[in-house]
Amino acid sequence: MRGHAHLIAGYVPGTSWLHRSPLWLKAVLLLIVTVLCFATGDVYVTTAVLAAVVVLHFVAGLPPGRLWRPVRLMLVFLLLIGAYQYWQSGPLTAWRVVAGILAAVLASNALTATTTVAALLDGLVKAVRPLRRFGADPERFALTVSLMLRSIPFIIGAFDDVRDAARARGLERNLRARTLPVLIGTVAYARATGEALAARGLGDAEDRRVGGAGD
Amino acid sequence: MNHVALCGAGVSVETADGNLRTILKPTTVELTEQRIAVIGANGSGKSTLLRLLNSLMLPSSGTVTINGLDTRTQGRAVRRQVGFVFTDPLSQLVMPTPLEDIELSLRRVHKSAPERRSAAAGVLEQYGLGALAANSIYELSGGERQLVALATVLAVQPRLLVLDEPSTLLDLRNSRLLRSRLAALPQQLIMATHDLELAQDCTRALVVDDGAIVFDGPAADAVARYRRMYS
Ligand SMILES: Nc1ncnc2c1ncn2[C@@H]1O[C@H](COP(=O)(O)OP(=O)(O)OP(=O)(O)O)[C@@H](O)[C@H]1O
Ligand SMILES: [Mg+2]
Repeated sequence: MRGHAHLIAGYVPGTSWLHRSPLWLKAVLLLIVTVLCFATGDVYVTTAVLAAVVVLHFVAGLPPGRLWRPVRLMLVFLLLIGAYQYWQSGPLTAWRVVAGILAAVLASNALTATTTVAALLDGLVKAVRPLRRFGADPERFALTVSLMLRSIPFIIGAFDDVRDAARARGLERNLRARTLPVLIGTVAYARATGEALAARGLGDAEDRRVGGAGD
Repeated sequence: MNHVALCGAGVSVETADGNLRTILKPTTVELTEQRIAVIGANGSGKSTLLRLLNSLMLPSSGTVTINGLDTRTQGRAVRRQVGFVFTDPLSQLVMPTPLEDIELSLRRVHKSAPERRSAAAGVLEQYGLGALAANSIYELSGGERQLVALATVLAVQPRLLVLDEPSTLLDLRNSRLLRSRLAALPQQLIMATHDLELAQDCTRALVVDDGAIVFDGPAADAVARYRRMYS
């Protein structure tokens, strides 16, 4: 069931310019892409930005499959949005909206493909650090995000496993047989993860004493 | 040397129908040997006993102390001294690659990212896992994964290592590999296991049955006793 990591597990090792760029620069580029696509409302700008993102993808030495993967995952969604916009506002708008979404998704795809999770976490810790005086714990925040990232392939995998198990028992049309085990499995997984983190002392707050034992 | 002591430590849990169920009877024992095995049937209370040592579980009665630290009031300090290895390494590995997972272990030790990275790489090299540093943890074999999980725990240099059936998911070759790796560690080890070969490697073994230690002595005698219990 855990073979689904490839869906999300993003980093593609490399030494390209994009790999070597600091995270803040990539974040700024991502922001620019998003703003250009959604704030200008100009179909030429959006098209040019999308083209630039695709070029960037290959300049960074990322494989073509990596470009197609997020598109495939969102294909139905993109088609629906495109069809709706076509019907409401015509082909130019439909293209502008779809191209804008694609550009933003592919740009964030390029960011995660060229940044290790560890570097992303460090970036998050830095970004959240100013919130410290309001009681935020940046380390914990980063850990939470990484756990969230890790859980996605697990849950996708659990759905697949449970579907196969239901099929093996001839229950593939039974909604309960297909969802309840996923729920139970996910809760058990969350417990096991929480426990393993506690055992490694990783859930402990760094600079606050949490009251009570077994914090 | 560590001083691990259970003093009348027992565990009761509330069952679904609201009754209290004793899963570990009040136990008094000192664990100072370098290699200690805990053996017993499924559901006998081995994991419960081990979880007390890392303050993953708190005793409902009595106390558990590790080098004088009470697991109830000094849980954080206890966890810094006691590493815990689970049966399933996937529940223990959080990050996508071994290198990143070890870096996560080292976050408290090294504040600077480059330092942390090279220290993490060093830990992997030290345990002969350098070649796997950037692989996805999902693509490692079960044996490699368990060795990586072990390395993530050893990275912070615990004084005591507690292992809950570390070889249960491994094939014969990998459990032998794990055994030899464990044998080479300088730390004190306390492990629950169904792997009687692994148990025989220890100097002392506890046999647990129905929430109580029913035998405590040399590992060979404990294994013989355990075999007799089910023949
Ligand atoms: N949190 C809990 N709540 C309720 N019952 C529990 C809890 N933890 C353990 N138990 C019960 O306590 C008993 C002992 O469990 P424990 O996990 O310690 O056994 P074990 O010897 O490790 O078994 P195994 O060899 O199967 O791992 C079992 O009957 C188990 O169902
Ligand atoms: Mg157990």
